[in-house]
Amino acid sequence: MSIKTALFATSAITGALLLATSATAYADIPVGHLADQSGATSDVGVPYAQGVADALAYINSKGGINGTKLAVDTVDYGYQAPRAISQYKKWSSGSDKIAALQGWGTADTEALTGFVGKDEIPAYSGSYSGHLTDPTGKGPHGSKPAPYNFFYGPSYSDALRGMLMWAAEDWKKQGGQGKPKYVHMGANHPYPNAPKDAGEQLAKELGFDVLPAVQFALTPGDYTAQCLTLKEAGANYAYLGNTAGSNISVLKACQTVGAKVQFMGNVWGMDENAAKAAGSAANGVVFPMRTAVTWNAEVPGMKTLKDISKISDASGNAYRPVHYMAGVCTAFYMKEAMDWASKNGGVTGPNIRKAMYQKKDWVPAGLEGVCVPSTWTDSDHRGMTAVNIYRAQVTGDTGASVADLVNAGTIKLEKLTTVDVPRKPEWLGW
Amino acid sequence: MASVSIIPSGDYKTSYGSDTTIFPTRTSRNFAILGVVLLLACPAFMDRYWLSLLIQIGYLGIAALGLNILVGFTGQISIGHSAFFGFGAFASAWLSNSLGVPVALAIPLAGVVTTLVGLLFGMPAARLKGLYLAIATLAAQYILQDFFARADWFTGGTAGTIAEPLTLFGFAFDTDERFFYVALVALVVMYILATNLMRTRDGRALVAVRDHYLSAEIMGINLTKYRTMSFGISAFYAGIGGALYAHYLQFVSVEGFTILFSIQFLGMIIIGGLGSIMGTLMGTAFMVFLPEAMQALTKLVSGTALDTALNLKDNIAFLREMSIGLVIILFLVFEPDGLAHRWKQIKAYWKLYPFSH
Repeated sequence: MSIKTALFATSAITGALLLATSATAYADIPVGHLADQSGATSDVGVPYAQGVADALAYINSKGGINGTKLAVDTVDYGYQAPRAISQYKKWSSGSDKIAALQGWGTADTEALTGFVGKDEIPAYSGSYSGHLTDPTGKGPHGSKPAPYNFFYGPSYSDALRGMLMWAAEDWKKQGGQGKPKYVHMGANHPYPNAPKDAGEQLAKELGFDVLPAVQFALTPGDYTAQCLTLKEAGANYAYLGNTAGSNISVLKACQTVGAKVQFMGNVWGMDENAAKAAGSAANGVVFPMRTAVTWNAEVPGMKTLKDISKISDASGNAYRPVHYMAGVCTAFYMKEAMDWASKNGGVTGPNIRKAMYQKKDWVPAGLEGVCVPSTWTDSDHRGMTAVNIYRAQVTGDTGASVADLVNAGTIKLEKLTTVDVPRKPEWLGW
Repeated sequence: MASVSIIPSGDYKTSYGSDTTIFPTRTSRNFAILGVVLLLACPAFMDRYWLSLLIQIGYLGIAALGLNILVGFTGQISIGHSAFFGFGAFASAWLSNSLGVPVALAIPLAGVVTTLVGLLFGMPAARLKGLYLAIATLAAQYILQDFFARADWFTGGTAGTIAEPLTLFGFAFDTDERFFYVALVALVVMYILATNLMRTRDGRALVAVRDHYLSAEIMGINLTKYRTMSFGISAFYAGIGGALYAHYLQFVSVEGFTILFSIQFLGMIIIGGLGSIMGTLMGTAFMVFLPEAMQALTKLVSGTALDTALNLKDNIAFLREMSIGLVIILFLVFEPDGLAHRWKQIKAYWKLYPFSH
């Protein structure tokens, strides 16, 4: 009987707690933060979300938005769009309606586009799908209006376009004969698929022979079969549409099989952790980077970043990968927009959106040299079209910690070039 | 066992009708009506967060009831229920998006379409039992999940599909306050339907199949017919639940309908009480509220002395998942007959008080 009593006491207490927490009202600026800490993209989702969370906590520690603090609710949605939507519905309701959203994946962000537009809640996503760049829905490729969607970085499509332009040059430079063969790889999921058509279209125009796309899951696995396909088809350039974790599996399998392909990761496809995990298989992979520098660079903005990093790492010794830094930049663009909004009519969704259009080629204060200057207009949400292409270099055994490997130069992210992708109107929303 | 309601001592029923009445006394019926009336007033004083939980209980409760008819009343097993739930969701979205069927009509139609799919997958049920049947339904889960990801025309593929909100005479049920009534009406109708089903000849046949299929067959019950039928009914309920879910969330995407979700449905009916209609609702409510309560609890612990002392940090999120598992295990050990049984005992206790021993 006593255990049963205990059971009932527990449920009564949890019930009471539930009531208590739901009654908590926000006196500050509510911000929703969707993070993938346990789902298919958590390998890169964790450092990015940490960057966002640390940045927002840091902003609060410095007095918030003109004295008003942000009430951030970070929720792990496990990379499941329906969960993200039901969470969003909670956030967008009642008196504590969120002023802005820090989002994550492509499937959920695209699904939420209509909702955030209707509710006028600016959504800063970790998805750079080209579909989110068209605020008016007038793009010629049938894009839907996404007036309240923002992201920091080149769109997936523009990043791929930039890499293809580089690849076309690279092929000539290497003395390649005939048409180079290009293949799109990734899971059958909105995120890897987002730039597929745009990439294949441009590849054809640039003189590539476009091979049928190759699928591999978002989770790590054995992708030997895919690599054999690449080898047999004689692919020269392959786009890896997934996040680092599953890309590593492909890189390793292809190294084993001996497929000599120039891999091009997307912004989430490569980072310091992935280079360590993949070891020599990651050597030579090119990818676009969103920030101007990596963690050990000496630019003015790094001071702020190091301070922000101390929020979750008191020792100040942690090495932060590129995704962490991108998360900080994203959070700070939102912060500056909120600053402007608070002085110009209050921190509301429409005001934050308006604030995003106030400056040209801007970098949030304190992050000079880290975030790449970006511009948003009310008809074009392609914040940046400059694609900084980097190459991962792994020159030895990767047994040590990432910080040590980077310091020793075993892992290096080396800048190849910057490709300025033209801001063509027909590419808007595509 | 002690009687659970205030009726005179002794059994004075003289007709089958009075023996199979839904509410044993007038008071119990009035209380049920009062409960529904109170629920009707909920949107006036509850915020959208609470309403969304109640709506979840609504559509999940309907789907779980379908599973309980199959598992609890007929004694069959299914671990592919979420796939049927998903099929109903996609079917309703597809019917309204592509064929222009009004949403109000698409929801019941989705139930019918899902019934057909359920009957198809239920066919092996006519011959299989126990573990074999479980694996057959597992196949249904995977086949349908794969179908969802590939059938672009039907589901929008991996990108998912938009489901228009339910509109009646130009009035859109697109907020939680409004959709709450849709869920409530659907829940009441579907639960009354199931309650009545169990009082009919067919319903009793299902129970007979569960209790002893050999005896049932000797009594002249067509096992094949009733087992397959049970699958159909179960799929119908899942389809309706799924369709409501689709038009509530206004978006359907394949990743939600996993085997884990199917197991959750099983969890709902086991915790609520197998073979109990009221228990199904209690189990669903339990499974909806538990993660929320645990979330609140972990949030409360986060940042406190306990958090720092145990160095929980990021692991605090997992604490929630673990405690959900623990509570379910505790239930199975200490209350295997479910919440419905517990509720009966509580009522009996108060009725007999202070002479409970």
